[in-house]
Amino acid sequence: MKKSILKLTLLFLMLCSCQTEKKDSEKKEYLRWVGDIEQNDKIDETEFKVCNGDANILQYFNLGKGPIYSGEKSKILNTFKTKYQPISDKNQNGLIRIRFIVNCKGNAGRFRVLQSDYDYQEKEFDNEIVSQFLNITKGIDNWVVLERDEVPVDYYMYLIFKITDGELIEILP
Amino acid sequence: MKYFNLLIVLFPFSSVFAQPNCEAYKYYGDTLKYEACKKAMEIKGHYQFSKEYQTVLDQSIEIDPTFDYAYWAKSIAYLKSGDFVTWKKLIDKAVAYNPKGHLGYRGWCRYQFFRDYKGAIKDIEKLDSLVGYDIGQSQNGTYHLNIAKGLCYKAIEKQEKAIEIIEKQIKLNEEEDFVGAYDYLHLGVLYLETKKFEKAVETFNKQSQNNEIAENQYYLALTYQELDKPAKYKSCLEKVKELYIQGRKMYDPYSNPMDKIYLENIENELKKDYK
Repeated sequence: MKKSILKLTLLFLMLCSCQTEKKDSEKKEYLRWVGDIEQNDKIDETEFKVCNGDANILQYFNLGKGPIYSGEKSKILNTFKTKYQPISDKNQNGLIRIRFIVNCKGNAGRFRVLQSDYDYQEKEFDNEIVSQFLNITKGIDNWVVLERDEVPVDYYMYLIFKITDGELIEILP
Repeated sequence: MKYFNLLIVLFPFSSVFAQPNCEAYKYYGDTLKYEACKKAMEIKGHYQFSKEYQTVLDQSIEIDPTFDYAYWAKSIAYLKSGDFVTWKKLIDKAVAYNPKGHLGYRGWCRYQFFRDYKGAIKDIEKLDSLVGYDIGQSQNGTYHLNIAKGLCYKAIEKQEKAIEIIEKQIKLNEEEDFVGAYDYLHLGVLYLETKKFEKAVETFNKQSQNNEIAENQYYLALTYQELDKPAKYKSCLEKVKELYIQGRKMYDPYSNPMDKIYLENIENELKKDYK
């Protein structure tokens, strides 16, 4: 009898551990779409609103117009080239992506930053570099209003900055 | 049946340009990959970015963690959203499990999305060293991968090497009557940059015949300026803005192509012209 209880207990423990492992592997919960950005009142401006609800935010390329900017990309390039003050430092190399939402009025909000070295390994740049890019991006107040079936939409957009020795080398896309 | 088997053998694990042939895995006795493949096919009808699409592929990977297609398919949404960190982790797995199937794709994406010129060259050259067949086109079909490689060499300031690669590939493309939409333009710009002006004119004229775009007339104008032919310079420049406004210009749905020009470039040049 004792043996049976022991066996049952062991079996129960084994099942439990399997379940825990399964939970671990399943713990990755996706939002609606990869890269969706939820409003976070601690960091995001509360005045920024999407027009058609979070469930209807598109990606910039869903509208088939390519990456477009008010005044074209040359204006974006000029803005960053003029405003960014390079921090000369041999250790500041890699990519910084700033992703955000452009709403139906052409305003941007919910900015998020991703940083990596040139081998795509996550890293942190000097905060002075990151905050400059973030502030300049936030300062752009007229993004292109994209429409679907003549209705202005909300969409995700991003800028990637390539940095070498603290200098801005390229802006994508 | 004989032909069915032959078909399976001929198209064993095609992964990048189409959905995989699950039956091939079964035919070769790899039942785990067959099951993973069948599961992965449930992505049909779901958007690449969606929770459903990603979850199905996670399940496919759980069945067979070496199933390259699932990692590749998962990686696309991360690539397109600019999440280079997650994209690279996923595509690296796809490459590790099937280098011949994904090296060309990874190399091209490194160039198209992240302008990682050295990384792209490395991947394309690695693929070339692994296979005995033509390494083929970029994922979007715009360039032969060798042309893309040439553009990467240009970006790291190895112009002469870029010219050599692109000239060679264009010759092959001409033989196949399959010259890319911007092939001559890029070669022409390279000639212009290396001061081979006569060759540049000749190449831009070929681009005109193949696919006339604003960029072509713009760089042709700059070449005529170098050759001190003001009438021809002006005549080309007049065409540039018209073509641009008509939408006959370089285009890529995800990024701005190399050698693309903007309205500002055209207007600056026009201002110079009319001074």
